[in-house]
Amino acid sequence: MGQALLWGALYALPLFVRSDFLLTIFTFTFIYGILAVTFDVIFGFTGQLSMFHPAVFGVSAYTTHLLVTLAGLPFWAATLPSAAAAVMLSVVVGSICFKFRLKTFYFAVVTLAFAEMIRLIVLNWNSVTNGTLGLVVAGKPTIYWPGHGVVPIKGPVAWYYVTLVCLSITVLLCARALRSWMGRAFAAIRLNEDLARTLGINVFRYKLLSFAVGNALASFAGGLYGYYTGYIDPGYLSINQSMEVLAMVLLGGQGTLTGPIVGSLVLTGLPHAIDLRAEVRSILYGGILIFTILVMPRGIVGTLGAWRARRVP
Amino acid sequence: MTQLVLGQVLNGAIVGAMYGIIALGITLTFGITGIVNFALGEFMMVGAYATYALAERGGVPYPAAVVPACLIAAAAGYLSNKAFFRFTRNNLVNGLLVSIGLISLFESASMLVWTATPLEMHHVLPGSLRVGDLGLPKMKLVVFGVIVAVILATYLGLARTWLGRAAFAYAQNPEAAMLMGVHTPRLETAVMLYSTGLAGLGGALYASLYSLEPAMGGVYVLKGMEAAILGGIGSLMGSLWGGVILGIIEGVGSIFLPTAFRDAYGLTVLVAILLFRPAGLFGEE
Repeated sequence: MGQALLWGALYALPLFVRSDFLLTIFTFTFIYGILAVTFDVIFGFTGQLSMFHPAVFGVSAYTTHLLVTLAGLPFWAATLPSAAAAVMLSVVVGSICFKFRLKTFYFAVVTLAFAEMIRLIVLNWNSVTNGTLGLVVAGKPTIYWPGHGVVPIKGPVAWYYVTLVCLSITVLLCARALRSWMGRAFAAIRLNEDLARTLGINVFRYKLLSFAVGNALASFAGGLYGYYTGYIDPGYLSINQSMEVLAMVLLGGQGTLTGPIVGSLVLTGLPHAIDLRAEVRSILYGGILIFTILVMPRGIVGTLGAWRARRVP
Repeated sequence: MTQLVLGQVLNGAIVGAMYGIIALGITLTFGITGIVNFALGEFMMVGAYATYALAERGGVPYPAAVVPACLIAAAAGYLSNKAFFRFTRNNLVNGLLVSIGLISLFESASMLVWTATPLEMHHVLPGSLRVGDLGLPKMKLVVFGVIVAVILATYLGLARTWLGRAAFAYAQNPEAAMLMGVHTPRLETAVMLYSTGLAGLGGALYASLYSLEPAMGGVYVLKGMEAAILGGIGSLMGSLWGGVILGIIEGVGSIFLPTAFRDAYGLTVLVAILLFRPAGLFGEE
């Protein structure tokens, strides 16, 4: 009920708010929200601390753009092959990690290592990726806009709705997957892997499935982000992105689907909401992160939920 | 060719010793107290800038500036532990996030004070030693010697003293150690002080060789972590060996393979080690 209201409010927001600045912040929130929600499927719901998200984000940004410019595909058609590429990468990396039963810290380190290798390849493959300089994304994806027919996305309101719809689809897909037998298996693996195995759950297969599904859905964020900002560079694949996404999920509340979006809103909005020097902002960011971890380890949504549960008997 | 390889091996060993001193800090804090301190590189940065401030701006001779620099880094470590880290015992993700927060705090604070422009110190010890056809800068040899001595001393200190036994006992079972008369909070503080002080020493030595910038810590903590895992988490001498091996792999690798992928050689070896010998090269199964 509360969730429906929240989504309704998000869809109605541009009717009341005309500030381009706010709509832009929300657009970034939605794109990062896709990343954070899909990360939460792997981390919060299946319990695997993956550091592979920036690799998927970056690779999909590049493949989507290259498929559009080199193969002449329309943007939306190009997102599917880049999702397929993300699945392929996840299957390779995931199989290696899960076959050798790498857990927690070791899983994080190995996925981080693979992400770094992919970043180095992207950074140095000058003929395709243009190295450190990055690629300028000139075109815009087209959409059907009532009254105008099929037009390129233009203006903050259009981008707001496109990214919001993409986020909604991602959340719906994740929610559907997590409510099914898949989600039960993920939860079993998170809570007790050995017990899950004795119950007949193929732990390897379900971990891989979670990793692949999370990464495949995350790939849409990459394509969108590249086209929204109009610029792609190897910074998309940096370790900091991993940390940022992890921070969003923990701040909002791990193991929930609304939490990562709330976290994404706070962490993308806050630096802009406070008009300070970049260094001071960054100090504030660090402070808030530490404060949340130590004072509200369950995140904003988790803490609110616990608080509500205590009040209503 | 052999000369080139030999040169890179020596150079790699020296750079690797620098990774090793960070790795030692990571191994100590994680192995003994269960706290994950990924912000160790920032204490190195603090030590490096403190050395720069004292030696270059304050006019203190370099060797005399190293000790206060270590103390400043350790003091920063003490404060971070008291305020944050002690709440993240045995919790990897929380430790990681608190570290990210701290990295952000330290980096931007040093950006405010020192700006992003790289700073360089005057040559502390100019000249180099000739070994056959190879020239080895004297300062690099000194740095290598100091680090190896420190790691050896740490090893001996933990293996031979009551404090060392108390630390091992604490690592195995904190409650039992407490019942045997180990003052555990004090021990935890001591480990934190020592590891951040070590990182400060690493920074002070780094300052004599390379230029300083606020983001230097992030690179080194990753390398230090790689070295610690390579050697085996919890193994003290393993951290030195892990660092040296990592440094040599990078040095020699960049002769035969494209240098752009320098960071990937170590990672490839790391992944292979983790898959086939998860306890690291020198760790116990």
